[in-house]
Amino acid sequence: MGKFIVRRLLQMIPVILGTTFLIFMMVYALPGDPTDGRCGQRPCPPQYVEAFRREYNLDKPVIVQYLLYLAKLLTGDFGTAYNGKTVLHELSIRYPVTIKLALIAIAIEAVIGIAAGILAAIRKGKFIDNLVTVSTLLLISFPVFVIGGLCQLVFGLQLGWFPVTATEGTWEQLVLPGIVLASLSVAYTARLTRTSLVENLRADYVRTARAKGLTVPRTIAVHALRNSLIPVVTYIGASFGALMGGAIVTERIFNINGIGGYIYKSIHDRDGTALVGTVLCLVVVYLVVNLLVDILYGVLDPRMSHD
Amino acid sequence: MTQDVAAKHQAGVAARKAEMRAAQLAAGVEHLLEVKDLHVEFRMQDGVAKAINGVSFHLDERETLAILGESGSGKSVTAQAIMGILDTPPGYVTGGEVLFQGTDMLKMTYRERAKYRGPKISMIFQDALSSLNPVFPVGWQIAEMFRKHRGMNRSDAYAEAVRLMERVKIPAAKERVKAFPHQFSGGMRQRIMIAMAISLDPWVLIADEPTTALDVTVQAQIMDLLKELQEESGMGLILITHDLGVVASVADRIAVMYAGRLVETSAIGPLYAHPLHPYTKGLLESVPRLDQKGQELLAIGGLPPNLLRMPEGCPFNPRCRYAFDECRTGAPPPLREVEPGRFAACYVAGEV
Repeated sequence: MGKFIVRRLLQMIPVILGTTFLIFMMVYALPGDPTDGRCGQRPCPPQYVEAFRREYNLDKPVIVQYLLYLAKLLTGDFGTAYNGKTVLHELSIRYPVTIKLALIAIAIEAVIGIAAGILAAIRKGKFIDNLVTVSTLLLISFPVFVIGGLCQLVFGLQLGWFPVTATEGTWEQLVLPGIVLASLSVAYTARLTRTSLVENLRADYVRTARAKGLTVPRTIAVHALRNSLIPVVTYIGASFGALMGGAIVTERIFNINGIGGYIYKSIHDRDGTALVGTVLCLVVVYLVVNLLVDILYGVLDPRMSHD
Repeated sequence: MTQDVAAKHQAGVAARKAEMRAAQLAAGVEHLLEVKDLHVEFRMQDGVAKAINGVSFHLDERETLAILGESGSGKSVTAQAIMGILDTPPGYVTGGEVLFQGTDMLKMTYRERAKYRGPKISMIFQDALSSLNPVFPVGWQIAEMFRKHRGMNRSDAYAEAVRLMERVKIPAAKERVKAFPHQFSGGMRQRIMIAMAISLDPWVLIADEPTTALDVTVQAQIMDLLKELQEESGMGLILITHDLGVVASVADRIAVMYAGRLVETSAIGPLYAHPLHPYTKGLLESVPRLDQKGQELLAIGGLPPNLLRMPEGCPFNPRCRYAFDECRTGAPPPLREVEPGRFAACYVAGEV
């Protein structure tokens, strides 16, 4: 197990190098210049442009820029964004908000998705199964900005159950955005759980559990469910990264000061330093969550054990 | 575990069973297990498949009854109907009785019946790898019987699991009790299935093709083990198989099934010497024999009937060499006593 974790951690190094390099190059390839529009309606004075380019190493070849960035990164310095604030400072304010949002979404996804999937599976072909199928289809069909706007209108304004925006990023404010963010993956989780459980309820070992004289709840909850959850856990883990990325849209709808807004602003400003730093954190979170999922996978399914 | 404890355990079980046997006799119950006119059908989208059509047989203590038949003849469905573990839907028991010591198990609720599974009647399956839960240790799966049926605590139940693994001769049972099914060989896995099935000293054990998935040397070991366990505990054994070779060495009586009906029941010796039903005869002829080396192996032509479109008359008539007009019309021939203690469902039984 220890060996497995060390190997996986070492594997992260090339992944991190690769992603930072690619994003750095992509920002460089964007048309336009970072100094465009920095001086209002007029073009910036040449002295300002020159000073700006020197300060942010933009006068050097792109590969040198990248290496200089990496060298700084190794000392724990994420660099300074074009607005003069350090990237680390921005991230320390914005990451907790987005992580909070993603955690709320994951919780909703796991609890409601799995519960709906189980209900649909054990009442296969009955009303509740059809209800789950239809409602998940609706959720999958609607784009997130439509669901977001509808939720703001119905639950925020008309019913007044939730705040319409989440500018401060408190837990109470983030519940509605969390629901919106989870809407797509909750539908997939429910369907995956249903399919997986229906399949496992037909398995030979479930017949054995019945032959052992176990009660119906125990047969389902202990024998069938444990096996059914293996793919579901993998999916939920993988969806954590997608949720953090998907937060870009949700955060804009609810005016949340998370990393989504920051990524949007960085791309807009062609601010490579800010963008690479932010995405780097996303990548690390994604890799760590995937590692945790793989460890959990080995626990859930002894055939996949890493020992 | 010492021999003493094992012997003591067996003595305890024997005493308990003797008491119940006396009660059974006093109540005028003839057989340990009696199946009367069992009907099972599968309701599917393209029609109703009549899988079992009036099967009756009985089983006594210490007795081994072999149920023989091709795939799809209904032997596994019969076993699952007796156990009460049919997949419903699509499978439904539509008639008959399954009497365990005189009590009709078909009239019980699921919960009442679940209490019989394990302590009274138990079952092992063909493919032990898929029949054991892949995510729980084998010891846990055996211990579950004691925890759920006898309310034993975890550590006591684990100790019982080790005792059972030793009883079915799994080497290094203590070390392997926490291992998972995929870490065992096929034969060892089947031993674990058996350990689980006999854990609560059942009166009846149903073995559904217990050796089909195993290689020949292991097959013999498993059959020997079942025989030995039966001699120790006196349980009745229903052996479901399509393998005439397996049957010959262990069974006392044999019931041949075809298309959801019994076509012949007989003691083992006379059946091999002189089969009554043309189907049984065909089955015996299709067994490769050393003394007929070099000759062509006979097979029964054709396929078993589609359960959705059963032929009129005797279900075997399209494949039968001896079929005549009467076989092709009306109801299937009933099971009749052709020789003392031997029954066959055929108009020309014994004459072929």
